[in-house]
Amino acid sequence: MIQNLLEELGKNGSFYLHLLLEHIGITFTAVIIATILGLAIGVFIAQKQKLANSVISVVNIAYTIPSIALLGFLISFTGVGNTTAIIALTIYALLPIVRSTYVGITTIDPKIIEASQAMGSTDSQILWKIQLPLAFPVIFAGIMNMVTMTIALAGIASFVGAGGLGVAIYRGITTNNEVLIWIGGILIAVLALVIDGILSVIGKLVEEHKVHTIVNKKVGYALGILLVIIIGIVGMQQYSKSDTIHIASKPVSEGYILAEIVGTLIEADTNLKVEYTHGVGGGTSNIHPGMVRGDFDMYPEYTGTSWQIVLKHKEDYKNDKFPMLSAEYKDKYHFLWKGMFGFNDTYSIGIRADLAKEYGIKTFTDLAKYAGQLTFGAEYDFFEREDGYKALANAYNYHFKKVVDMDNGLKYQALFDKKIDVMTVFTTDGQLSDPRVVVLEDDRNFYPSYMAGMVVREEILQKHPELEAVLHRLDGILDESTMAQLNKKVEIDKEDPKQVAKEFLQSKGLVVK
Amino acid sequence: MNQIIEYKHIGKSYQGKWVVRDCNLSINEGDFLCIVGTSGSGKTTLLKMINGLIVPDEGDITIFGTRVIDQDIISLRRKIGYAIQGDGLFPHMTVADNIGYVPKLDGVPRGEVDTIVDRMLSLVGLPLDSKEKYPKELSGGQQQRVGIARAYANSPKILLMDEPFGAVDSITRYQLQEDLKKIHKQTDCTIVFITHDMHEAFKLGTHILVMHEGKIQQYGTTEEVKNHPSNDYVKQLVEMTR
Repeated sequence: MIQNLLEELGKNGSFYLHLLLEHIGITFTAVIIATILGLAIGVFIAQKQKLANSVISVVNIAYTIPSIALLGFLISFTGVGNTTAIIALTIYALLPIVRSTYVGITTIDPKIIEASQAMGSTDSQILWKIQLPLAFPVIFAGIMNMVTMTIALAGIASFVGAGGLGVAIYRGITTNNEVLIWIGGILIAVLALVIDGILSVIGKLVEEHKVHTIVNKKVGYALGILLVIIIGIVGMQQYSKSDTIHIASKPVSEGYILAEIVGTLIEADTNLKVEYTHGVGGGTSNIHPGMVRGDFDMYPEYTGTSWQIVLKHKEDYKNDKFPMLSAEYKDKYHFLWKGMFGFNDTYSIGIRADLAKEYGIKTFTDLAKYAGQLTFGAEYDFFEREDGYKALANAYNYHFKKVVDMDNGLKYQALFDKKIDVMTVFTTDGQLSDPRVVVLEDDRNFYPSYMAGMVVREEILQKHPELEAVLHRLDGILDESTMAQLNKKVEIDKEDPKQVAKEFLQSKGLVVK
Repeated sequence: MNQIIEYKHIGKSYQGKWVVRDCNLSINEGDFLCIVGTSGSGKTTLLKMINGLIVPDEGDITIFGTRVIDQDIISLRRKIGYAIQGDGLFPHMTVADNIGYVPKLDGVPRGEVDTIVDRMLSLVGLPLDSKEKYPKELSGGQQQRVGIARAYANSPKILLMDEPFGAVDSITRYQLQEDLKKIHKQTDCTIVFITHDMHEAFKLGTHILVMHEGKIQQYGTTEEVKNHPSNDYVKQLVEMTR
């Protein structure tokens, strides 16, 4: 395991360094904003004690909101990306700062405050020269607490498409790659420990009076200037993005691969730059609003998903409805369906290859004749769902010898071990590239169609007409079994989606080696 | 003799109870006034009205010929020294920073502040090497000396002291009393000094004010109070010192 980690770090070191720097950037922007804001609120309520309880309860409540819920909620206001992550992290970071500032200031011996008043200090002199320095140990403990918490919490930020080490973890989870999860997790832990160590040394120096006035106006100004610089840099990056195509992907291997295929081809064929936001949490529900806002320019989507989730049609999507689908997309959102890859990632039935050959079963209808001799396996919820087992059995008149429910991850192994004969599959499952299993044809179109294609903002095509030709070259380049093979490379062979995409394009002669 | 502090019909109440009522008093420049009374007699209330920490509900208090409420309270306070019992010192500042606090607020240049600090240290009899120490590294008596040095650093016309020697042992207290007398002699400073100890008042004060239950019992020179107590309460206090 350790060897795998080191190998991966050696191979993609710059990728992880980039994530680490991004992580530090996101964390520290949030930490600086929260510190300034939290100090201000803490100081304010320390002067206005009547407000203190209500303000602290509000901050407390914000703190108890589960991070996933808060992030999901913020997406609808600030979209996906670093901004949302920074806002969420700032909200969480506020509580420790507000509370420690308030406690630090209000527990100072009132005699000392009175003495400083009696000597003719103004309110701001009392604050800067007496209250803040005396409250410093308490405030600093709050800051240390908050910084390590924020570093850890920022790992979740990739759920909303933000950068940082969470990207490695999230990609690891969605592509079933443990090495990525370990590296992301370990780097976050190491970062938190290192920063904590540095801060405790600083804290000790200040308390031993070796650094005299760390909390003074100069530091305040310096932090302010730093903040302006960070905002400036972020702003510049946003501005320079005008010639950049932003591609999003869903948190599944297939999403990563398709996005990389499109992006790689765009960069090869045009002068445009491509930026990826991989594995957006919630998939369509969050990427579609991001497209509407213009955060993303295009993303790989499935017709059936759009039909039900975006257009909210009740009836199933079938291929003959494509003109309706694309017309509604154009009218409602000014999005176009381009680059239809040619494969249908839908539900289907897989059967042991030896049985398929023996009985000559090719279609769902063929299966009905032999069902009485076969065992059928599916994940537990397939037997619960309205459109699951019952509907399928009714449609094709199946009467299996036995039905078994089992964990999705163990299904293929059970089939290879001949514990089950037939099972539900997705047509592009990575394991389907194994010769021991064969996919049957849904000859009566029982299942909706989920054709994969790129949803593209019309505006970006008008701005960069050269994209039209690039996307056209993607039409029909993938069938189900090819896609299943690419998925296998990522999920089972643990290859990098970018590399898989590049090799595929080379094999098709779309990109020169 | 110039009047420097004047109380006219001063009253102050807390939650409907008068702690001080109808007090009239004038203090002359250069006086060393000791206010004597038990706790709750209203002596601290009277003292804190001088630098505006407490604002009277009734009457007027005039300092340097102008009513306190008509003055810029910040600049008035910088002209009045203030020392209290125990640790009114700033624990996060060195002795030098504590003593130099008010001159620095007043914008005195760094070099001059250093000179002031050195002068104050020798005035209160502390060694120069205590400058870089923090209050917690000093003994109780030394802390009290720093407190006096800090109160006097800006060469104020008025020095307010609220039982400054209340928390030190009797030997240290004796030395501090001697030092304070010396400072009063060397300067033209007006001192208002609160104590509950008649001995201390007789030893230090040129004038004595006896307070009881918010009312002035007697106000006069030390000799007057010692030899002609105005009522039984004062007489009792004087007799206890014999």
